[in-house]
Order: sequence, then C-alpha cells, then structure tokens
Amino acid sequence: MTGARTITHDNLAALVADLAAAGTRVTAPARGADGKVDYRPIASLAEAALGAELPRRSLKEFFLPASEPLFSWRQEGAKVDLRAVPTEFPPHLVLGARPCDAAAVEILDHVMGWDYRDELWFGRRAATTIATLACPGVDGSCFCTATGRGPESTKGSDLMLYPIDGGYLVEVVTPKGDALVTAHAARFISASDASRPVSPDPGPRTPDPASLPMPAIAEWLARNFEHELWRDIALRCHGCGACASVCPTCHCFDIVDEPEGVTEGTRRRNWDTCQTGLFTLHASGHNPRRDQHARIRQRVTHKFSIYPAKFGEVLCTGCGRCARACPGGMDLPEILGRIAALAGAASGPEAAV
Amino acid sequence: MNLYQPYLMKIEAITDETPDTRTLKLAFEDPSVASEFDFRAGQFGEYSVFGSGECTFCIASSPTRKGGIECTFKAVGKATKAMRGLDVGDTMGFRGPYGNHFPLERMEKRSVVFIAGGIGLAPVRCVIWNVLDLRDRFADVTIVYGARSVSDLVYKRELEAWAERADVKLWQTVDPGGETPEWKHEIGFVPAIVEKAAPSAAGATAVVCGPPVMIKYTLPVLEKLGFAAGDVYTTLENRMKCGCGKCGRCNVGPVYVCKDGPVFSAAQLAELPAEY
Repeated sequence: MTGARTITHDNLAALVADLAAAGTRVTAPARGADGKVDYRPIASLAEAALGAELPRRSLKEFFLPASEPLFSWRQEGAKVDLRAVPTEFPPHLVLGARPCDAAAVEILDHVMGWDYRDELWFGRRAATTIATLACPGVDGSCFCTATGRGPESTKGSDLMLYPIDGGYLVEVVTPKGDALVTAHAARFISASDASRPVSPDPGPRTPDPASLPMPAIAEWLARNFEHELWRDIALRCHGCGACASVCPTCHCFDIVDEPEGVTEGTRRRNWDTCQTGLFTLHASGHNPRRDQHARIRQRVTHKFSIYPAKFGEVLCTGCGRCARACPGGMDLPEILGRIAALAGAASGPEAAV
Repeated sequence: MNLYQPYLMKIEAITDETPDTRTLKLAFEDPSVASEFDFRAGQFGEYSVFGSGECTFCIASSPTRKGGIECTFKAVGKATKAMRGLDVGDTMGFRGPYGNHFPLERMEKRSVVFIAGGIGLAPVRCVIWNVLDLRDRFADVTIVYGARSVSDLVYKRELEAWAERADVKLWQTVDPGGETPEWKHEIGFVPAIVEKAAPSAAGATAVVCGPPVMIKYTLPVLEKLGFAAGDVYTTLENRMKCGCGKCGRCNVGPVYVCKDGPVFSAAQLAELPAEY
C-alpha cells in the first residue's frame, strides 16, 4: 500500500467533483435547512460540514436502510412471480465519517456474515469507501475510549484524514482506500516526510478506559440476569426505542409485507428495536420479555456480554448518541459505570453507584 | 436474489387435523430445488403468504420422506390466518431449513421416548417418522401424546398407525373432561401419563415438545425416572423474523434460538435465562 499523502482543500473539492461527475455517490456530514448535521448526499465539498458536531444519525442507514425492499411479488391466479432486488450497488464514498461510526460498520460485519451472508449488507459494504476524519472533538456523552476506540481509531475506515494547514494528511488503511487514492493520484501529494499532526485533545470528560473495564462488565452481566439495577434504571425508560434508532450498532429488524393493491406488493425489512413489548410477543400472547426492565437488560447485555462472547467485540463504539437522544435521561456510560462499580472493578470517582 | 427471498411452493394437499389446526403438503416449484433440498429432523423454516408476511415453524414431515415438506399450524396470527385461506394449487413461500437438529446419530442404538402435547406433536412427528423409517437402528420406541380433548388430537390417522405397530408403545391421553364416550385411552395430563408409562431411562433419549406448562411438569417426572438432563431434548419456539441469526429477535442470554437452536437439551435450558 502507498504511504501517507496530503490533499489540499482545493484538491479535495476537485476530487469530490470528479467522483460526482463519474457517478460515485458522495456522502458527508452536512448541515440541513434545519441547521442540524447529518450524513447527507453532497454534490460539492462546499455542502459538507467536515469536522462539525457529531451527525445526529450514524452511518448504519447507508448499509442497513431504515426500510428496504427484499423482493416484490406479483400474483396471477394461483401463480406467483417474485422479482429480486439488486445486491450490487453503485460506488459510494463516505467523506468525513466519525471514527465511532466507521468502526460500528465493521463490528456489524460479524453478525451480517455469521454463517449466512447478508448480500444486501455486504453489497453496500463492497461499494462503499469510508474516508474517516480523525475526531475533531467530543462532548460529555462520548465514551469511545472506554470501548477500545478513540479519536484516531482506524477500524472500519479505508482512509484516515487528519487536518493540517490548508488540507488533510491522508493515511491509507485498506486496499479499497488505496484504490481510491491511486485512481485519483493527481489530487494527492506524496508526503513521506509529513509528520502526523498532533492528536486532537480527547476532552476532559471522555472516560478513562480503566473506569469502564469491558471484560469485568461482560463478566458481571453474564452473572447478573436478576439484579435490582435493572428495575431501578427501567423507571426512566419509556420504551420508545430512540436509543436503538440512533445507535450505530443496533441492527435488529422486522420483516413485513406491504401489499400494493391485491395482486402485488413488496416484502421489506424495517429497523426494529428490542425496547418495545411487541418485539418478542408470541402469537399465543406469551411474551418472554413482558417488562421494560427485561428489555433494557437485553439491550445492555447484548451489547456488552452476548455480542463480545459470540464475536469478540463489544457492540458499541461509545458515540454517546443513545444518551443524547433519550427523552428519559437514560445514560449508557452512567449505567456501565454503575455496573463497573458493582463488579468491584471501578477505579474512578465517577463510577460510584 | 438475497437470502430473504423464499422458494416458491405449491400446496399439494390440505389435511384438517382439528377444527383450528391444519397440515399443508408443499412441493417446490423449481425442480432443481426440489431435487437438492434436504434438511434434518428439528430444523425449521419461514413460511409465507405473499401480502400477509412470514411465520415460523418446524418442518413437520420427516427428512426420510422426499418430495416436499409438510407443515402443521394453528390459525392464530396474520400469516397463519392467511395460510388457512389458501387452497390446493395455491402458491406460498418458504425459506429454510434453518437451525440445528435433533441428535439422531447420538440416539442410534438407544431407546427413544417421545412426549408431546397438542400441536407440539408436529415437530416431534418429524423425529418419530425419521426413527420409524430407520427402525432397526433404534431400541424401544415409546410415544406419549396428549391433548386437551379428543377433537384436539392431531395426526389422528398416524396415531392409529402407530397404535397398530408392535414395535411402538403408544400412550394417548386427553385432559380430564376432554374425553368422549367412545374414548378408550388414558384420561389425565401428560406428565401423569408419562409417570404411569414409566419408560426406562436406561440407554434412552427423550424428545419433549408441547405447551410450556406441560414441559415444566414433565421434566421433573423424567428426572425421577432417571433421565439425565443431557438426554432430554426439546425445541424452543421463540418469535423470529430472519431465521438466520441477523434480526436479533430470538436472542435469549448467550444463544440465538434460530442458530444455536431450536433444539436444546434440558441441561442447556437450565443454563438459559427464562426468556423463552
């Protein structure tokens, strides 16, 4: 793979224009008419808000859309014809992803490829190059450092961008990133002697990883299915599922039929969440998770015990969106801090129960 | 085509088992799928009526019987009600087979005790025919089957066939009050009849399926009879959507029922949180 390069702002703008002209979709954090930053399609770099505040929603929807067709059907008498949806997708560049969002996509590859390959997920993965911007800042809800990530985490990224005077230092992470740089070599300047810029300050409130020790938390969760903690924190939860919606790693989905008239329609998959009572309700009326405390326990246990036991990584990148979105003030780092304290492994004063 | 797009199946025959339970015999429309399709006893599928969605059940026919599959279902939800509205010759969808299976190889040379309640006989029936079609590989075969009432017994013709076989001990029962004047078999709940039948636990494997309350009271009886928890198997019926370990719905503690199950031993169930 090629070494480090730099790209000027002007050349990055030209690169975005080149890609857009060649039919590559370009997505970047951009401010909408409401003033809010989300990952949005851009036609030129001027529309992007690289390094602005954390986009409200993660990159998940670009690989697992909130609602997507699985196939459509048409019926004629007793005969049914099925029409497949494409599993190959046009080229796509995500520019200025957050490290937490890029990492989440790679963490989800485990479950999406677990024995059965989800072609829709991996079709979009193959078509997409992720150019991540080293995280320019955090707020009090961020806790990426506790999940093994950080402002310069390269997990899930094909290219890493570090702001320097007049542009960015570009680090090639994967062959896919290399391919993009090579195909547009004229836009980049070789920077073998360029030193990496000083790391952005992770901020005073990003927790010390030692205060949220993931192995001790996983071990406590596996042993404490019944614990008063669950009922206590459940009092704040409305069961709305906002946390799952904004979460970069929550991937539960529903499969439903949407008839269009009588003889045709589309089977779709839609985002779903384990935080609603309907999620596990059997047709018989039996519901294995009848109470909200059982659903919160499921969300926390799945992320920090079940997923790491199955796939070797926690299902969380510490982006903090769940804490920002919750109307009831649920705060995942706070919950993890209480668990760490219960596990007797906490080392910080903030981790007290 | 992606993994959520089903095979098309033609309904070849319909059998009404009880007033609310029906068996469909399904044949693959694509001849190459029909010749290649294979499964193991205990595996399940996602069945669908286009426009009404998917529903999950075990394949009720035995893998020893080729040429399609059978499913037995009660019309309870949106998809099963739509399935009940289909006729012979109609087309439906099927994805599968998914999940693990009963350990038939481990059960060879051993006695097998089948215990089922109500529509719980459907997944057990698949194993029963699998064992009976390879009868010389197994020792004693005992079947204890019960339902709320005589009219709730499913697979009535097959119960007659099993009753006539010298190499099968069949115990049939209905709940007290569910009998008819003509009923010649047992009256009582399944756990009590298992205790009465008292199958030997020596070199035996038990397969249990039925309503949760039946399983709850049958497991202690089997334990009393000397069955080790590792020799008692059941199949879990959690709500599912994808069937292949993606959608997160059937996750219980450390297992995904669709991938790690649906077949579990009583020893494995004892380790799981009671979220099934």
